[in-house]
Amino acid sequence: MSALALVGCSGSTDSEKAATDDHGHDHSENNDHGDHDDHGDHAHDEITYKIGVIAKSNSNPVFLAAKNGAFAAGNRLTEELDGATVEILWQTPSMEDAQLQAQYVEQLVASGVDGIAISCTDANLLTNALKAAVDKGVIVVTFDSDAPDSGRMAYYGVDDFQAGKEVMRQLAKVMGNQGKVAVLTGNPAATNLQARVNGVVEQAAEYEGIETPMVYSFMPETATEAAAKMQQVQTANPDITGWALVGGWPLYTDNALDGIYENAKIVSMDPLPLPLEYAMKGQVQVLVGQPYFGWGEKSVEMIVDKLHFDRSPASSMVYADFDIVTSEDAEEFAKGWKLWLGED
Amino acid sequence: MTKAKNAPPKNPNPPLLKRLLAHQESGLVLVIILIMALLSLYGVLTPPIKQKTLIKLHENATIVRLDTQGNEHEFLAANKIAGYRVTLDGQTTEYSSNTIERYDSADRTLIQVRSVNRFFNKSNLVLIATNASFFAIIAVGMTGVIILAGIDLSVGSIYGLCAIVGAMVLTNLPPETGWYIAVPLALLTCMTVGTICGFANGAMSEGLSVHPFVITLGMMAILRGLTVVIPQGLFGTQSIGGFPTSFTTGFFKAEFYGVYPVLVIIMILTAIAGWFVLSKTVFGRRVFAIGGNETAAKYAGIPVKKVKILVYTITGALCGLSACIYLGYYGAAETNAGNAYELQVIAATVIGGASLMGGRGTVIGAVLGAIIIQLINNTLIIFSVDTSYNQIVMGAAIIIAVVIDQTKQRIQARRA
Repeated sequence: MSALALVGCSGSTDSEKAATDDHGHDHSENNDHGDHDDHGDHAHDEITYKIGVIAKSNSNPVFLAAKNGAFAAGNRLTEELDGATVEILWQTPSMEDAQLQAQYVEQLVASGVDGIAISCTDANLLTNALKAAVDKGVIVVTFDSDAPDSGRMAYYGVDDFQAGKEVMRQLAKVMGNQGKVAVLTGNPAATNLQARVNGVVEQAAEYEGIETPMVYSFMPETATEAAAKMQQVQTANPDITGWALVGGWPLYTDNALDGIYENAKIVSMDPLPLPLEYAMKGQVQVLVGQPYFGWGEKSVEMIVDKLHFDRSPASSMVYADFDIVTSEDAEEFAKGWKLWLGED
Repeated sequence: MTKAKNAPPKNPNPPLLKRLLAHQESGLVLVIILIMALLSLYGVLTPPIKQKTLIKLHENATIVRLDTQGNEHEFLAANKIAGYRVTLDGQTTEYSSNTIERYDSADRTLIQVRSVNRFFNKSNLVLIATNASFFAIIAVGMTGVIILAGIDLSVGSIYGLCAIVGAMVLTNLPPETGWYIAVPLALLTCMTVGTICGFANGAMSEGLSVHPFVITLGMMAILRGLTVVIPQGLFGTQSIGGFPTSFTTGFFKAEFYGVYPVLVIIMILTAIAGWFVLSKTVFGRRVFAIGGNETAAKYAGIPVKKVKILVYTITGALCGLSACIYLGYYGAAETNAGNAYELQVIAATVIGGASLMGGRGTVIGAVLGAIIIQLINNTLIIFSVDTSYNQIVMGAAIIIAVVIDQTKQRIQARRA
């Protein structure tokens, strides 16, 4: 029987007092020795939780928001948890590269991290690396893009199918539930985009006045390719009165919607700074947003919850709500981006 | 004349150390040793990192957390836990929180930790070599190409196409297929595709008398396009996985003493084979002769075109080998596989001492160059440097390596 190195403990914080497990147990229950240790020592002198955060690319502003969210959560939790420090290690390829992400996972595990939050560029390629991390006792949470067979504790993000439905719901509203709809998608083989397109098509079927939408894809996924595709389709089909964009690609160029917005209502995913300008100009009616800041913030929170309180989320699929941004509130939403991008 | 008479005679057998230092790779080895020594020292001076081992509890065992007073708790915040008490069949075992980092109630697992140097530990060292192996193997072939004063920009795309075609074969094998079938089949598939692509590069470049830069640039685009189109057309997906486990964890990612050494072994064997071919065979000498002076090589009766085509073909085959180990290690292939690998491969070769003007380069140098690139990556991770700086540091390292090498060459030429 090994002897215990007994070294006292300190008082609990608000956060710790509030800690409960999935069944509502108080994790600090019976901790009636919390404040009366005369020696004033700690069970651990200082716990440091090292959490690696791996997004898809450093060049995409949505992941910059996720990065700031992760660091904000780390700083806040360090203040809230007495005797614990949350250290964030940001490891993200400059461009999307699944193999490099897998290498980062392995390097982070070798460097002794306690948790990893990751947006998977390719689930197939990352599954083995994440499995190996989980097998070595690392808590893994995926955000934005999941790797469901990796053994990760949880996924945080939107349901892509529901996102597609929400885009169509908003589009139908601004179209008065009637008209001809076109769907713009990028890589037709991307599973998340397929799910969004399916959501749009299924939701469209609920409106009698809306024809079954035509789906148009383009490759490579660049802003200019997307804008050109929309222009070509609209010119060839002037009777299109609504566009459902399951990604915001064309809205990263100027004047992408000239000749289109005059004839059709447009609802798009991703209210990023540039697309928001289209909304402010009234050329895009609604933007459906994902929790970009929350990708980093919530993922880190979930990992620390598990590490510090042994508390898992109630479900392994933690779905976030959508942000609905209209022309009226686009300016206000743009101010939020300044905070997320650390410009304030 | 007088000076020559008075000069001391040259020692035909210089000391071993002097001979070792005269080798082209000695500088690289010194750089690697220096970086490793500094990182190890940094690891000693900073708090050690934790390496974890999982202890699965017996299904009948009960566990409670202990506070500093020895009181039992079902739940307790981590910084209040002094230990764990496990009871099984009336037997009680207590674990200190010094050795058990935490208990995961969802998996009923105790996470045991031990402290190790943050750089100098076997997991990290093997990982550096493993990550280097993917492009070090290709760099072995690229060394031959660069010695010929050629270039192959298509290696990343060949690697990607080999991986996708290999994945298509592997995903159709029954899950219970043994490694003795899966491994040779994948090697054959990947290396055949690579060989064909490499041969096409060499044959077009020599047959059409077009500079290999242009041919391989075109092939880079064509093969990358095929890498994207084939899986989309046939599988409607961007990546292909689901291989027999005998191929992945059973072979290429087999675990020995907590590390995955198979890729490192393959890299070492490839480097030895490449070194032997380039420095101990007639073919190798012909490669150097062509790179040194192609016209002279022609007049000497060396079949220049044949040798060049063969070097490009071997490089393609090595791309296939690298793609195969990638499939085995990661258990999947994606359309982006090997994207921009050509830059890493050329960087490793150049850092390894190969001259883009031709006639100079070593296989061992290229492999050491690949290891240096990974060491730099590892250094940035150890120092928690934002990955955005990786490319800046890498670019600077390439320039510094080439400048040092050229300075060394100039000094040696002056002495000679």
